[in-house]
Amino acid sequence: MPASVASSNPSRPENLIGQLNSAHTSYEAKLKALRDLKNQIIGNRTKKLAFLKLGAVPSVVAILSSSAAAQYGGGDNLEFHESVLVQSAAAIGSFACGLDSGVKAVLDAGAFPILLKLIFHPNEKVADAGARSLKMIYQSKLAPKYDFHQEKDMEFLLSLLNSENENVSSLGASIITHSCQTAMEQQALSEAGVIKRLVALLGGSLIQKDASLESLAAVVKDNPEVASRLVLPENGRELNAVIELMRDKYPRTRLLACTCLINIRNTYVSYLQDSGIKKELILILLELLNDPGQVGDEAPFVLSNLIAEKEGMQQLAFEASIVEKLCENLQKGSFQAKRLQGIFLALADLCSKLECCRDRVLHLKVLNFVTEAFAHDSAEVRAAACIFLKNVSRSVKIAALRAISNVVVDFMAHKSLFVQCGGVKQLVQLSRSMESAVRVNAVWALKNLTFLVDNRCKEEILLELSTSTLTSLLSDPEAPVQEQAFALVRNLVDGTLNSIDYVFGDDGLLLHAVGRQLRNTSKAEVLVQCMYTLSNVASGKEHHKEAVMNQLFPQTGNDKETILVKFLQSSNSQLRTAAVWTIVNLTFPSSPGACGRVTALWNAGIVSQLKCMVNDPCLDVKLQSRTALKQLMMFGDAST
Amino acid sequence: MPVRLVEASSPSQVSGTTHGNTLPQPCSLLSVGQAFSGTQNVSSLQKDEAWRVNVRIQGCDLDHGYLCGTMEALNVPMADTPVVTFWEGEIVDTKNYTFFTGKWGATVTGLGIMSRVEDDIKHWTKFPSFPPLLSQVEADGGKSLDLSNYPYVFMRWKEQYFVNVGTDCGLTIAGFYYVCFSCSDGSINGFYYDPNSSPFQKLELKSTNDGRSGFSFSTYELQ
Repeated sequence: MPASVASSNPSRPENLIGQLNSAHTSYEAKLKALRDLKNQIIGNRTKKLAFLKLGAVPSVVAILSSSAAAQYGGGDNLEFHESVLVQSAAAIGSFACGLDSGVKAVLDAGAFPILLKLIFHPNEKVADAGARSLKMIYQSKLAPKYDFHQEKDMEFLLSLLNSENENVSSLGASIITHSCQTAMEQQALSEAGVIKRLVALLGGSLIQKDASLESLAAVVKDNPEVASRLVLPENGRELNAVIELMRDKYPRTRLLACTCLINIRNTYVSYLQDSGIKKELILILLELLNDPGQVGDEAPFVLSNLIAEKEGMQQLAFEASIVEKLCENLQKGSFQAKRLQGIFLALADLCSKLECCRDRVLHLKVLNFVTEAFAHDSAEVRAAACIFLKNVSRSVKIAALRAISNVVVDFMAHKSLFVQCGGVKQLVQLSRSMESAVRVNAVWALKNLTFLVDNRCKEEILLELSTSTLTSLLSDPEAPVQEQAFALVRNLVDGTLNSIDYVFGDDGLLLHAVGRQLRNTSKAEVLVQCMYTLSNVASGKEHHKEAVMNQLFPQTGNDKETILVKFLQSSNSQLRTAAVWTIVNLTFPSSPGACGRVTALWNAGIVSQLKCMVNDPCLDVKLQSRTALKQLMMFGDAST
Repeated sequence: MPVRLVEASSPSQVSGTTHGNTLPQPCSLLSVGQAFSGTQNVSSLQKDEAWRVNVRIQGCDLDHGYLCGTMEALNVPMADTPVVTFWEGEIVDTKNYTFFTGKWGATVTGLGIMSRVEDDIKHWTKFPSFPPLLSQVEADGGKSLDLSNYPYVFMRWKEQYFVNVGTDCGLTIAGFYYVCFSCSDGSINGFYYDPNSSPFQKLELKSTNDGRSGFSFSTYELQ
């Protein structure tokens, strides 16, 4: 019977591994099998996983180990063993490349110490293979942590950095990039003279330049003291090398140089004040956004690093038309998730403070891409799109235009812009959440929804919210939730005159809740919203004003000092303002019952209190206390 | 005895203070949602005419000296409905904007930029609350004024587009308004400037409140 082709294929993983393991295989055959295996797995993730599953790694490491041992024993077949070392190291490096399970297998099999010994091998090919392999391992967070505090290990590291072999010296830099995490480690490295060596590597080969750039960034990141040792000597002369590399012919080198400079600048703030260099950084990143590969994927993140929280840099970027470039990229079509995420985050940073950027984004009509992004597979892309949207929505103009959008025909066709969390229903649901942060945001959004809307909308919201939910929010254990809830009630009673009736329903349930809270809470933010609510009610009809008086001056109890005086004396200017407006409204001249209220206010000592406020530092308070006094005086002096 | 109120002092000319102390303070009556109504006189040589006007503030960003809103003109002869426009404003806060317009300059005359400054001064001077500031404004556009305690806010309002009618409605929004707002009672005075229209068309508005006896305020926050 013919044997099945598959099982007799010597290149099948099982067969290759079998050959490696067998004591009967000849040297040549083993070397061939090794080469074959290596060639199959390089750049092929599926094959790597397949071989991994079959236990290839321990077999390869075993061969590596025996050849390494044979080397030191002296003896024959030196050339053969060196070839084995090269091929097995390369295979191990490939298993570890970009695959955490591979890294784990390699480390578990004990490859690490063997590879370390290889990097000073006299045969350069062997040293290269060992160094490259270790570099792959160090890309992963599973790599063993390097102890920079151990003198022996620091010396070893320096010997790596000093090596003439570019793979070995760049390995040293790689170790630093991936293992240096704490300020103490950065300090130790700096003191050991590592920085000087890294700067020297900036003049080396491509591999050395790139590795060194990444490494420098890691050593100085967020450590002003260490950064100052780079920046201060001779006005940062050493950094000129980095600046030169910004203009290197290789895109990846340019990107790494930009990253390095930005990290240094973010750490040592007075560096890079020269706007020429800042502009150049922006232009270089602008151009790197065009790169179709990994460099283009990473460029927007580097841009974010440059401009985040810095209005001045955002302005420069805006002037260099970065908004257009990023939007152009969005329009080009589907990208890797990483690039899409980067573009949205960079746009979000640009729109975080500048109205001109938000405006430009609107005009470029990219918001359709945002809605598409909400359905993306990648959670990071969805989150980035959300942040972008949130920042664009900060536009005062957009909020204003939304308010008049029922009249504006064209501009606000982007209904999707106002992702009001799927509507009132969902918000109300979220307002009952166990987590206070969620409740606050839900009620905040509901409050915004009640801003300047007609009564039909208010009623829809109230219906969905229900009075019982609203009242429990008004006495929520968390003050920020209460604040938003009372602000919602404040908005309810603004608008047309009859809106005031909302707080009178159910025997004045909501009105009494406001009054109660005024007496019970000490949180200023909550008091402000309560006071404004009463103020709004007091701008209504006679019986509205009387109801407010009853809340402020309850019949029961004989508190000499009314809460109103207390609020007028508050150090919180918003509370003083709200209190004064309330008085202005209560004593509004055209109202028939004003006289009686004026008397009550005089008796409560309001007039003497207001007299102290005519030069209040807050302009609103100053001007309106004068208005209130004028109105109170109109009814004559009622004091005894 | 009636209390004599202290006269409002004229704004100090503070040099070298940080801008944080010299900007106009926020004023309740000039905030989002506040409404005003009154008239704009559009008289020409041929006839005397005034339109009823309603204004509402729709957006306000004091840090950047920015304001925006809608303006609704009623009983406009050429239109059969009220005409609504969207306007954007610059607050003269000496940080973001000064008393000198420097743009929206209609025609460039032989005098170039100088005539714009003269137009600016000519218009601001028509507001009774402006003269105390004049000498400083003539010197440097008012850059070193401390407006934090001044009970008036000066602005320029520019209508940007029609909201509910087409541009062929026969009306123009080419000019802009010089505006003076009173913080104590929310009254607004303005002069429309358009080199191609009659000069000094006056806008006079008072704070309104949906028929209430008093003032009412909503709250909205962009997080």
